[in-house]
Amino acid sequence: MLMDIIINGLINGSVYALLAIGFSLVMGVARIVNIAHTAFYMASAYFIYMGFTFAGLSPLLAMFCALPVTVAVGLACYRLFIKPIQEHEAAVLIGTIALAIAIQEAFLMSFGGSFLGVPPLIKGYTWILGVKVTWQHLLALGVALLVLLAVRLFLMRTSVGLAIRSTAQDREVANLMGMNVTRVAMWAVAVSVGLAAIAGAIVVPLVVLDPHMWMHPLIMMLAIVVLGGLGSIEGSFVGAYIIGFTEALVVFLIPLGAFLKDSVALSIMILVLLIRPEGLFGVVFEEER
Amino acid sequence: MLLDVTNLTVCYDKAMLINNISLHVDRGELVSLVGPNGAGKSTLLRTITGLVAWEKENLRGTTGGDVTIEGQVSFDGQRIERMPAHEIVKLGLVHCPERRRPFREMTVYDNLLAGAYLSQDKESNAKNLATVYKLFPVLAERSKQISGTLSGGEQQMLAIGRAIMSQPKLLLIDEPSTGLAPLLREEVFQTIMEIRKLGITILLVEQEVARVFKMASRNYVLSSGKIIAEGQGEQLLADEVIRKTYLGL
Repeated sequence: MLMDIIINGLINGSVYALLAIGFSLVMGVARIVNIAHTAFYMASAYFIYMGFTFAGLSPLLAMFCALPVTVAVGLACYRLFIKPIQEHEAAVLIGTIALAIAIQEAFLMSFGGSFLGVPPLIKGYTWILGVKVTWQHLLALGVALLVLLAVRLFLMRTSVGLAIRSTAQDREVANLMGMNVTRVAMWAVAVSVGLAAIAGAIVVPLVVLDPHMWMHPLIMMLAIVVLGGLGSIEGSFVGAYIIGFTEALVVFLIPLGAFLKDSVALSIMILVLLIRPEGLFGVVFEEER
Repeated sequence: MLLDVTNLTVCYDKAMLINNISLHVDRGELVSLVGPNGAGKSTLLRTITGLVAWEKENLRGTTGGDVTIEGQVSFDGQRIERMPAHEIVKLGLVHCPERRRPFREMTVYDNLLAGAYLSQDKESNAKNLATVYKLFPVLAERSKQISGTLSGGEQQMLAIGRAIMSQPKLLLIDEPSTGLAPLLREEVFQTIMEIRKLGITILLVEQEVARVFKMASRNYVLSSGKIIAEGQGEQLLADEVIRKTYLGL
């Protein structure tokens, strides 16, 4: 039981971290609350399924093909639907909800509401402290941690990373440093959707696909970014593991807990908003005149 | 002429913030721009470096209203009034903004690195960094510190240092002494003189009129978006009307 909670908490937390960090990046750089973020995660999962089932690719190859496709779809959605209304907060909120539902309906019409799946990359299992853990779960965890590390290096060591961090804090001053904030926003969207696509690839062998699979991670992700502090990358990382472990605890320790996990996450979100609205790592955005 | 502004007018919706202004800055000069609050000094700098145009682009269609910019701005022989802000920097026209505005969550070193964003030349970046550290030894000591935790004076030094990392030919500095203790203000003014000695031309917006007049080679007095007077410090101070009405001295 304990080992189940730890493994599930780690995997949930890592996947949520990938999603929440991507969400925070775009939130910080472009000031977009992207409700459609987890819809791209779902899109990636479906693209992998399509590559595997219709194109006959191996699951691994399907994943590598789905990543650029998802990023391209994400960038196109940003350019066509979000960018023109970027400065209208309410419109962005409504627009991204509409976008997410449009993606959901597209998959619902193409594949129906039935549950679909992709086989694991590696079969078999091992025993850790007396608990059966599949290799696929361990692989998912390893890949997630590696990608998180890569994101950190990208943000801290590269010049695009520097521009993303600067723009997230003060768009005007970033302009004055010669950073093309429009292009930086495109980069942030690409990285963000890329992370969502990787999260989709990580979970696809572990879960069943259905056109509503974006809703649960969306709720978790929103709870995480509020808990961690809107726009804070560290906050998203730490918050993701807190919420991930909370979810594992609720599911394993409370009878019928699986039905409660969303409400627990939302309760945490409401508590944070009541007690510490800026979250664990509150970031203050520079006010623009 | 390094910077030449001709008949510049800026309106935010129906409010005219800059009213038909012409001014110029020659190479090697330290020109000051003074005037009461709300005279349009910051707006003028923001227009020159393209921030107003950027804002206009962003505000389009929002409730913020419409911004209109008319007139000509040229820098180093090139017309820049239609150039995006991030390209103007490349020409060597660098703006050190009001309220310092360091990237608060980033370290001092990363802030300076952000200033050198456009230059991939490691050698010249290292040279500039050495210059900045020589001007402001405290920044070298605190290079690993998160800049939001610096004192106001240190943040001002960081803002100026970051601007120097962008390799300016002309540096626009907006109210560097505001909110600082008298001793620190003097330190800031001394640094500005040092920067001038590095061969950087400066356009300085300040509230400390008496102090700035002593160091500037020329001054512009701005009020309600118009240039009221231009000249050397003593000249302007000798004029009773200007001194009492616009400078409050």
